[in-house]
Amino acid sequence: MKISAGAALATLMPKSLFGASNANGPVIGVAQGDRSKLVATAIDLLGGIDRFVKSGDVVCIKPNLSFASNTDCGATTSPDIVKQMVQLCLNAGASRIFVVDHTIQDATLCVERSRIEEAIIDKKVSLVTLQQERQYYEIDVPAGTELNTIQVAKIVRDADLLINMPTAKTHSATGVSLGIKGLMGLIWDRGHLHRVNLHRAIAELATVIKPGLTVVDATRALTSGGPGGPGKTVTLNKVVAGTDLVAVDSYTVGLAQWYKKSWTGNQVKYIRAAADLGLGEINTSNMQIKEAAA
Amino acid sequence: MNLRVNWHRTTRWLIQIAFLAFFVFAFVQTRYGVPVTFQNIFFRFDPLVLVVASIAYRTIITSALLALPLLALTLLFGRFFCGFVCPLGTTIDIIDAAIKKRLNVGHALKNTKYYILLFLVLTAMLGASFLHFFDPLVILERSITLIFYPVSVYLASIFTLTPVIVYTESLIALILLIAIVGLNFFSERFWCRNLCPLGGLLALLSKISIFKFSFLEGCTKCSICEKVCPTDAISFESEKIDAGECIDCLRCQYECPQATIKYKNSLTPAPLDVGKRQLVTVLGASILLAPLAKTLLHQKVLGRLIRPPGSIPESDFLNTCIHCGKCMKVCPTNGLQPCILEAGVNGIWTPRLAARIGGCEKNCNMCGQVCPTSAIRKLPLEEKTYAKMGTAVIDRSRCIAWEQDKVCLICDEACPYNAISSLNETIRGTTLLRPFVDELICTGCGLCEARCPIEGRAAIEVFSIGEERIRQGSYITEEKVRLRACEEKIEDIPSGFIIDN
Repeated sequence: MKISAGAALATLMPKSLFGASNANGPVIGVAQGDRSKLVATAIDLLGGIDRFVKSGDVVCIKPNLSFASNTDCGATTSPDIVKQMVQLCLNAGASRIFVVDHTIQDATLCVERSRIEEAIIDKKVSLVTLQQERQYYEIDVPAGTELNTIQVAKIVRDADLLINMPTAKTHSATGVSLGIKGLMGLIWDRGHLHRVNLHRAIAELATVIKPGLTVVDATRALTSGGPGGPGKTVTLNKVVAGTDLVAVDSYTVGLAQWYKKSWTGNQVKYIRAAADLGLGEINTSNMQIKEAAA
Repeated sequence: MNLRVNWHRTTRWLIQIAFLAFFVFAFVQTRYGVPVTFQNIFFRFDPLVLVVASIAYRTIITSALLALPLLALTLLFGRFFCGFVCPLGTTIDIIDAAIKKRLNVGHALKNTKYYILLFLVLTAMLGASFLHFFDPLVILERSITLIFYPVSVYLASIFTLTPVIVYTESLIALILLIAIVGLNFFSERFWCRNLCPLGGLLALLSKISIFKFSFLEGCTKCSICEKVCPTDAISFESEKIDAGECIDCLRCQYECPQATIKYKNSLTPAPLDVGKRQLVTVLGASILLAPLAKTLLHQKVLGRLIRPPGSIPESDFLNTCIHCGKCMKVCPTNGLQPCILEAGVNGIWTPRLAARIGGCEKNCNMCGQVCPTSAIRKLPLEEKTYAKMGTAVIDRSRCIAWEQDKVCLICDEACPYNAISSLNETIRGTTLLRPFVDELICTGCGLCEARCPIEGRAAIEVFSIGEERIRQGSYITEEKVRLRACEEKIEDIPSGFIIDN
């Protein structure tokens, strides 16, 4: 229903200069090229950082730091990409920036190996690992069938903006691990999600944790052996940004071959489940995909 | 009390506190990310470690050869180590200063330390080490690790986000420490003068040391020296000072109103009168206890005793490990835990990987770095990852991927070596990815066991199957490298992808 309406609109509207398919669909900013400018370029395609960060805002940036593997292994978000995001937020006048994750392996080792401290460039910026239960608070999941309540990091509740910064990688249980899957790094009991219907439960997380912005580090993609690696990586040299979490994930699925096969977002169970919950646009044909060279 | 006495007391206190502070500093600096240089220096200077562990291991513990200069200095100057350096001695002195009333008994027990020393040497010759119950430095280090460290971290965690540290066995260590310190209620420095075998070893050398305290002409028999001596080394009646008992604290010299006690060179050895009956008892006890300690090995039965990576073969390990707890302190995941009975009665406080608490991180080799006796070998990071500690075994009846058709595979996710394959397996009509362990790649690190989401006992557990324990040589083989590098490992496509769409 929704899809057909969108398609009808697309035929009525003139195509945009960027070659978007649907002028009403969610905007996806894709930057490619000069690594040092990828994030700024992608955010500019969405209308610039000032659209998201106001002066004095407290910002939470959530990269994937889960594994104590070297950053070039592709299991964690590149520190230089996070650093660019931090710099943008500082430029926009953010008063406080927290770089947060609930790491899977030992936090000290994850921080060391991911080299994330390179992104802590100002005294307004702090790295906070979420390894203690008292850093969380419990909330209801009204839309939940798998989850009734969930313990979410307080630091996210207290921030004005959550920026989700996953890295593009495969995942042994969910196929790929991107933005929606990355929300598991903001909850306390991850194990519980595996004891229920995992795909649906991940989608339900996105009903209660709402990143204002999702920026995928697709400078390289870990296309096998994920989520922890080691595995094969391919260099894409891209950053994908958007406000629609489902759209960003779905678009990114199409950027590489995972487990040596091409997939669409529709084929990833948790992305499909999120779309079914009405959380965003899953069909790339209904998105406004704006590409630019950095 | 004159000014001179105060100055002397203060100086000695300052030196003692400085060594104790350095001991604690070395403890605090025993942590992941700090290169190991001086952190285990006290144990490498410990002559008791050198003697007992070398005899038990039948090989000189080269890292402990730093004890030789200490032995030489003791031959020259006497037991200054006990009076100025030993951090347990200082701890006991601090407690002593707080004790007002003493029972003043136990003066006849001073030979016990020689019997304990003899017991340690004899049992070591019979192939069992009991060092960990008696070495003062080991006792203090372990007490700090198992008692004060978790307590202070817990207190810190109330105000900060420091993760709490737990040890499965802290209470027995606490009881031992309280007993040793509490003995001071009987007499001053009870442990040092009567029981400490390190003190005993140094005392034997002190008896023939070149510099000793002795009486000069003109003693007025005022008895002050005998009263102030903390180790009961002086008899003013006979004007004799037992150089074996004397810990060079200088108190008598400075307290003597006539200045008739002097520290000077004297080649007359102090006598040693040990009882024949006691020697026979020690011999009997050694012959009884050493084999008992060897026959109480439980790990073969349970198969759950996982030693740190690079640990030498088990019987060598038990003889070389001094149970100091450095490896447990440094382990960043808190996975290295003290044994209670897992390694037999005599294996108490030896390290084991309790993977349910924390696995062995791929990028860490700190335990081997801090081990003062190389019971855990000092392996480079790369080689450490090839030192197989055991093999993970999946209990399919507990695993929710096998038994309940759940999309779990957290073990696969946790494995840093890709030793777990997720393969499609059809059970009762349901096709789903289920985990399999590749035992040739698995190193037994236990990261899977730590993260298994089942309540209580994990559905994947490490057993000592296939553990590699070698005294020397490399753990890296061409075959292992080939297996691990195999990128094109068979791996089914995750069920997260909807295939039929």
